[in-house]
Amino acid sequence: MDEMLKEFLAESAEQIEAASAQIVAFERDPGDAGLIASIFRLVHTIKGTCGFLGLARLQRLTHAAENLIGALREGAEATPEVVSAILDAVDGVKALLAELEEKGVEGEGDDDDMVALLEARVAECRRAQEEAPLAGVRERASTSECAPEADMELEPEPAPAAAPAAPQSGAGAAPMGALAAARGAEPAQGKRAETIRINIKTLERIMQLVSELVLTRNQLMEITRHRSDEALKSPLQRLSAMTSDLQDAVMRARMQPVERVFANLPRMIRDLATDLNKKINLVTDGGGAELDRQLIELIRDPLTHLVRNCADHGLEPPDERVRLGKPAAGTVRVAASHEAGQITIEISDDGRGLDKARIKDKALKLGLASEQQFERMTDEEIYRFIFAPGFSTAEKVTNVSGRGVGMDVVRENIQAIGGSVALSSTPGRGTRFALKIPLTLAIAPALIVEAHGQRFALPQHSVVEAVGVTGGEHRIEFVQGAKILQLREAVLPIGSLAELLHLAPPEARAAEPEQLAVIMRVGAQSFGITVDAVTDVQEIVVKPMGGSLQHLAAFSGHTILGDGSVVLILDPNGLREALGLTPARETAASEAERARDGADKTRLIYFRAGSGVDKVLPLSNVARIETVSSEKIEHSNGMMLIQHQGRLMPIVAAAPDAMVKEGGNTVFVVSPDGEPFGLLVDRILDIVDEKLDVEIAGGAPGIVGAARIGDKVVELLDIAYFIDMLRGSGESGAPRKSRLLLVDDAAFFRDMLSATLSAAGFEVVKAETGAQAVSRVGHNPRFDAILVDVDLPDGAGFELARRLREAGARAPMIALAPFASREVVRAAQAAGMAAAVGKFQRNQLLDLIRACVADDGFRDGAAFASGVAA
Amino acid sequence: MSFEPSRMSSEAPRAAANALDGYFSIKVADDVFGLPVTRVQTIFRIGPVTRAPGGPRDIVGLVNLRGKIVTAVSLRRRLGLKAEGDGPGSLAIGIEHAGEAFALLVDEIGDVLSLAPDTTVAPPPHIARGRAKFAAAYHRVAGTLMPLLNIDAVFDFTEDR
Repeated sequence: MDEMLKEFLAESAEQIEAASAQIVAFERDPGDAGLIASIFRLVHTIKGTCGFLGLARLQRLTHAAENLIGALREGAEATPEVVSAILDAVDGVKALLAELEEKGVEGEGDDDDMVALLEARVAECRRAQEEAPLAGVRERASTSECAPEADMELEPEPAPAAAPAAPQSGAGAAPMGALAAARGAEPAQGKRAETIRINIKTLERIMQLVSELVLTRNQLMEITRHRSDEALKSPLQRLSAMTSDLQDAVMRARMQPVERVFANLPRMIRDLATDLNKKINLVTDGGGAELDRQLIELIRDPLTHLVRNCADHGLEPPDERVRLGKPAAGTVRVAASHEAGQITIEISDDGRGLDKARIKDKALKLGLASEQQFERMTDEEIYRFIFAPGFSTAEKVTNVSGRGVGMDVVRENIQAIGGSVALSSTPGRGTRFALKIPLTLAIAPALIVEAHGQRFALPQHSVVEAVGVTGGEHRIEFVQGAKILQLREAVLPIGSLAELLHLAPPEARAAEPEQLAVIMRVGAQSFGITVDAVTDVQEIVVKPMGGSLQHLAAFSGHTILGDGSVVLILDPNGLREALGLTPARETAASEAERARDGADKTRLIYFRAGSGVDKVLPLSNVARIETVSSEKIEHSNGMMLIQHQGRLMPIVAAAPDAMVKEGGNTVFVVSPDGEPFGLLVDRILDIVDEKLDVEIAGGAPGIVGAARIGDKVVELLDIAYFIDMLRGSGESGAPRKSRLLLVDDAAFFRDMLSATLSAAGFEVVKAETGAQAVSRVGHNPRFDAILVDVDLPDGAGFELARRLREAGARAPMIALAPFASREVVRAAQAAGMAAAVGKFQRNQLLDLIRACVADDGFRDGAAFASGVAA
Repeated sequence: MSFEPSRMSSEAPRAAANALDGYFSIKVADDVFGLPVTRVQTIFRIGPVTRAPGGPRDIVGLVNLRGKIVTAVSLRRRLGLKAEGDGPGSLAIGIEHAGEAFALLVDEIGDVLSLAPDTTVAPPPHIARGRAKFAAAYHRVAGTLMPLLNIDAVFDFTEDR
């Protein structure tokens, strides 16, 4: 196909898409002369190009359509018949374009019927105008009676259905294969020169190269952590920051506005309104929010399905609405918003809400839950049954929805891309779905697990928790030849990763029992996979498998870890299949459990060290877990040492009475600032996700305090104490200690960070609240750097930054966040803060503080640094 | 005198009628094959191998070639020979095929030979099918018969799934 034709097809596709959305908007508001002019221009452009390229069929059809649109432009009334005829013509043009794209030439056949219809409509319009030259103008001012979308005066929001056509948002659908930056559906406008079309493959290639650059950067950083070469450190820091920026920029280039998915909604709603005989207003909002192009395509179907559901099941027929005192026209609202590294898309209607009684009936009938179980369930939990496979409460099966397929698929599709679906409903007021979608698929956090000596990456989004299964309360049992795990009343199917992947014959495995069960959830199903160890949590760059291994269902891709080794990425879906599970009915209990799995939980290692109660440590504090043979442990000068990665690493006992055992010893490798040390424990019991509240401050050295996990009391280990013990204070050689202010409401982080910082030679003043911080600054403003938690109970950290400045603080400020996402970085930058860093990214935090203390010019906007982990 | 690899492999026996040149002689066990120089991207020794459980038997695993993930294929296993020495340190030839980067593990890589079209001979009819598919053509070189490696067949695992 020649270049010109390709260009034409790409351009036409976007123009057509923009045109159909505009026509629906026009029908809704026939008084808008600007809209009709813009539609006319679009069709005219296509027609012109068709003529130039010698595409006769297309030219004839677009010509006829243009005539009809022209008639509208001259003041004819936009009756539903006219609008339908134009929409049909647009469909016809689309079909011709599709054929052209496929075959490279125009298809056989003619469009006599359609052209005749269009011409008849033109004639009608002309007649109507001649008969009542003024009527057209008058009627255009009121809304046409049979138009399903009326009642504009009842619509409180500015009809953003027209948003796809709004030029200022650079609207409309970006063509496939175009840079997000190249969007802008307005044809032949001056803006053209600022954008270029770029082949999607080129972009993918750049993305790939950047991913590799990030990996190489990570490797380099890993190597230099163990060296104190100052000459190397500074350029490396810059390289690291620039790599992050480059990655960010390329990710942005792949971003496209959510509007791309919104663009076909107006047309769909219009058709639905006609089919269902309802009056429906569509309100879209936040179409400018951007998502990775790959994700845009993946959310299209689920989103469309939800909108259909709202229009079909949610909204009542107009007469019923009027009887209920609601406006006759129902509203379906689709709003996208951007928050904390995620896009939330809300689909809501102002219809009847979900029918709890009917959902209950259906769930009973399907045997999903019993009457007694219902009694204990909240409304939310009952509503969630609509996501169960084969669940549909629609009495009437329409051709729109209600065929009993869909909602479960919607949820699975969203979960497959690491997103989630939430649901709320108020009887008589409407239903609201909220889709949470990650911004990109290319980088994902993953657990690195080990089975039979081989490491695998397991995407974190499907991992619920990890529990110890050797000894203790959780035990794997055989029931009729199948392995199961009983976990808090739930019975989970479980399998050994090594066996599922046939890494070793089952008999060879019996000798070495696995220690950990990783509990996963795919769709509505939970299951467990036993592994030998969870060695790490890393952000991985996901690369698809090559063709020769693509058929392996157990893997979704591969990646290179920081140490340069290649690992395969496990596909939770494939594992589920390998276990022999098929998508099944959901149990209400597990759903409820999931609903309770809120935020602010910490992933903790639950272990035993010495006598006394069991201890916990945030998994993030532990770089690696290693098994060290007792022979390898040497004693020198009252200290235990082992050879670790070619150098000596000190080991301390996590409790005074934790002793080296004959044979294998479990050692947590803690690496607070690139100087690793080992923490000797007796054994790991579990890895749990729990909210950690230290209830009683610790009296003993090495213990932060006591906390409760479930019904057990545990002690939280004070890593800082051990760092202090090993490093002593002799290492800090600075004549005057730099003074830092640390503002964090969580005692845990406050103590943890202050210990790390003190160990690194800083004097730390702690503040628990924003108010306390302001008073500390008022007392003595001479700080060298100020660390502010962005999430304080008495006002956001960014706001506090301003208050501190007003109080006289001159020091550079660093934003602390659980994870320094790009949003946090940007917000920090906007608040005039010097940098943003994740709380667990100690090395970066220390580097940043040193940079702040050393360099007063650090606050310069250009030097803005972030701790975004790649 | 340009050489077109695609024609070489898809129209195997006829391609030999064209003027050809530039072949590495590669050796596995007692077998020697010719491999077009133009298809070879790099020659290296592989590092640690990550096994791909469930994958075709002849795929040794995945290796990291300067930050790029490469699928390592044992030519020995491919030919049904005894698998040995296909761990880390093995000699590998980097070849791109159907958009995928491969490392073909061989025992030895010898000289570059120039082959003239008049040295082709008809394929011996009694070679087992399992082996014959890996030969694109046969040349008489210094009195012995040398098969040219059919790269498409070597990296096509659809039959092995």
